Amino acid sequence: MAVEILKEKNRSAVQELVLGATSENGGTRTKTITVGGDSALPFHQFEGATPNRPVVAMEVQDIKPEWNDAVLKYFADVADKPGAWAKKCVEEYGADLIYLKLDGAHPDGANRSVEQCVATVKEVLAAVGVPLIVVGCENEEKDHEVMTAVAEAAAGENLLLGFAETDNYKSLTAACMVHKHNIIARSPLDINMCKQLNILISEMNLALNRIVIDPSIGGLGYGIEYAYSILERARLGALQGDKMLSMPIIATVGFEAWKTKEAGASEADYPEWGPQEERGIMWESTTASALLQAGAHILLMRHPKSVEIVKKQIEQLMVSNAY
Amino acid sequence: MITCSVTFLPDNITVSVEKGKTIAEAAQIAGIKLKMPCGGEGSCGKCAVKVMSNRVSDNVEISLDQKFEQVLACQTEVSEDVTVEVPVNARLGEHQVLLSAEDDNALGTFAFEPLCWKVTITLSPPSINENASDWIRLKGELGKIVGDEEVIIGLPLLTNLAHMLRDASWQVTVTLLQQDGYVEVIDLQPGANDEPIYGLAIDIGTTTVVVYLVDLCSGKVLDRNGTYNKQAVYGDDVIARIIHSQEKNGLQELQDAVVNTIDELTNQLLKKTRIEGTGVKAITIAANTIMTHLFLGLDPKYIRLEPYIPTTSQFPAVKATEVGLRSVPNANIYCMPSVGSYVGGDIVAGVLYTGISQKDELTLFIDIGTNGEIVLGNKEWLISCACSAGPAFEGSGITCGMRAMHGAIERIQITPGTYETRYETVEDGKPTGICGSGLIDCIAKLHHVGLLDRAGRFTADTQDTNRIRNNEEGKEFVISWEKEAGVDNDIVITEGDIQNLIRSKGAIFAGIRCLLNSLQIDMEIVDKFYIAGGFGNYLNINDAIEIGLLPDLPHEKYQFVGNTSVKGAYMTLISRSALKAAVEIGRKMTYMELSVGNEFMDEFVSALFLPHTDLSLFPSVQSN
Repeated sequence: MAVEILKEKNRSAVQELVLGATSENGGTRTKTITVGGDSALPFHQFEGATPNRPVVAMEVQDIKPEWNDAVLKYFADVADKPGAWAKKCVEEYGADLIYLKLDGAHPDGANRSVEQCVATVKEVLAAVGVPLIVVGCENEEKDHEVMTAVAEAAAGENLLLGFAETDNYKSLTAACMVHKHNIIARSPLDINMCKQLNILISEMNLALNRIVIDPSIGGLGYGIEYAYSILERARLGALQGDKMLSMPIIATVGFEAWKTKEAGASEADYPEWGPQEERGIMWESTTASALLQAGAHILLMRHPKSVEIVKKQIEQLMVSNAY
Repeated sequence: MITCSVTFLPDNITVSVEKGKTIAEAAQIAGIKLKMPCGGEGSCGKCAVKVMSNRVSDNVEISLDQKFEQVLACQTEVSEDVTVEVPVNARLGEHQVLLSAEDDNALGTFAFEPLCWKVTITLSPPSINENASDWIRLKGELGKIVGDEEVIIGLPLLTNLAHMLRDASWQVTVTLLQQDGYVEVIDLQPGANDEPIYGLAIDIGTTTVVVYLVDLCSGKVLDRNGTYNKQAVYGDDVIARIIHSQEKNGLQELQDAVVNTIDELTNQLLKKTRIEGTGVKAITIAANTIMTHLFLGLDPKYIRLEPYIPTTSQFPAVKATEVGLRSVPNANIYCMPSVGSYVGGDIVAGVLYTGISQKDELTLFIDIGTNGEIVLGNKEWLISCACSAGPAFEGSGITCGMRAMHGAIERIQITPGTYETRYETVEDGKPTGICGSGLIDCIAKLHHVGLLDRAGRFTADTQDTNRIRNNEEGKEFVISWEKEAGVDNDIVITEGDIQNLIRSKGAIFAGIRCLLNSLQIDMEIVDKFYIAGGFGNYLNINDAIEIGLLPDLPHEKYQFVGNTSVKGAYMTLISRSALKAAVEIGRKMTYMELSVGNEFMDEFVSALFLPHTDLSLFPSVQSN
């Protein structure tokens, strides 16, 4: 008698979400990207479908960032040219899409104007054909102006815009609805608050398949286990039919990994830790790989080498293990 | 010593105080009760008074409103003669206390056998052949009445016994009192004496004190009285009181305050019914563990510190004079036993009154107050837990919050679109603030008309309606304009207030969920929900469900039972078997500590939403 293998049956699946729009759909992208749609735990392809592979977005900023040299040196020639920077990420390093952070808008920093920010977004859109993720500078008032203008200027491009938070979600949600973009709902490492924000946004009538959740993560060694369990709970919720937890997940891997001491400290200070760049790459790619296993769909990363490692890993994980 | 005179307007009362005393202390001497929920720490701003002559030294730099020269009475020292005006909203009003008239037949299955009762006994005179002592002779007869229990007598009564028996031809009326495990003779009167005896049933709440005067011969409640707990001036919640008890003379002040409250209420009752205080023989008291400690003068310090241990949970019988009760010098006091540090005799009384411990059906009992106590069980088992809901439901910590007294807004309607408000107040007074039920109503209605999102934040902007406006910390909604109100400011509810209330209701709902989860019981299986508390009678069940305070269940499962604490105390006063049952309840109830583990926190955060993060728990609200 044949052995019957018990498989977990899931009632529901993660929402599928399309980023970017080609000319047929009113945009200028040369390709679109679909994420989500999983009907099983991450890479449990023997239990359900994993129709779309996780994607890697490489981070680009509108002004030259104060990043670690181990990363910045790869972009030294383009660090103050966001368009060229994005092009390099896509063409040389294989970024699936571009994550543009408008840090320069911050009033306490470069305080770039709304017009300058919009121009940067247009510059990047013109430089690459992949879909775009655009986020503000995390100053509530300025982001309100900047992101509203960006949403309007890029109408039709089907961008992913961030960040909406419980205290401040209304204007971005409205902008995404009017100009047909997608939104990143960010919550502070708490599954309930994650869900609450999704309810609030959906009550403004933004469709559920236009929301990506950023439940906040910690880098390796800095609370990644919390992040892991939150991601896992969200996925289990989605599979059990909780629509308010069924959105694809985005993770700020590069930001979290490169702010750790282990990734950033120089070899001169810690000779026993070995070469710094290698350490940083491992820190970023290990963080990414753990979160892939937990159910992340979009990884926001920085170092070209980490991107290469993680993309290769995704490829291997996507080989069907169904039986 | 330099004295200054302080004149209070509009009362026009002038008192002399030592220079350097605060205006609040002067007000106390003048008999003017000021609101002081922070306990005189200068942090709540509720005791602000207007200085009419500008001769005080404000020793803190708090200037509330320059044009009126307002100062905090608790922080302002008197340096010269001064006149101050006490605004209506700084006064502690007469408190509306729930005094229900439905106590007839409260006993249920318990027999009427008062804690203290009289029997008339005729003894056969001694002879040379039958030469037992007078006391043994009397005790033998009493033994036939009380059964197995030991009967004892004190020396003061014994000294009279020999003469009394012989002068009254061996007939004597004995007043007996049930004690824990024995019966005590507390009075002897010659002949057959049918003078009535009385008892008091008392609920000492953190906020209010209620006294029932009971005829122990008939078991009838003769009258009821209730007011503020005078301890309120030392802080609003039990934690503030415990902190005050650690100050110099603090414990004594707290004990005096509650004893004075009881004396005042009792004297009023005695005067009204023309009964002598000496006729009151027995008192039963139901109170939370901390209130009982403070009443008996026991130091509650360690209840507040981990691992939260009270001095005792079974309290000895005490005489009125031992705690300083002057109105009823002959009374013997019995305090209901506690279960844990945060589940006290008031909850035991509530369980006794609602009869949970005698029924087959599974019942959940919730006493909503500053602490939310929850009991679940039936005749087989009982489990309880307590969660700190905060004083928001009693109007404290809320910008325009107040207790349910004259002028408190208790019902609100908001017209969709125009956002105009209509409201009802307690006793139809001019609105002076919002009480707990009004706050719940307000949040439910604001959400209903779309002004509030599920996270408790205003969705509308100032341009949508002039009732929404910005304050320093966010937005606020004007419920009543100054011109309609009985106070000289607009009555508003702020985003901060709403967050505060959401936390309170979240704590109670999370407590209910944790208790049920720990037993793996579904809400639906619970047959009956009893809601108790001074707040309960004014609670609109629809609103309470809509904001997620109570589980979304058919309304017929809910029953408001009012102040069950005093009702339970009354039962034990008129039934010795009820008292034994209460002791048994206290003994058999399991106490679950919610602060152990993460579950409460998880449930709490998911309840910080209107009505709840898991909307499927509130199907009837969703479909609205």
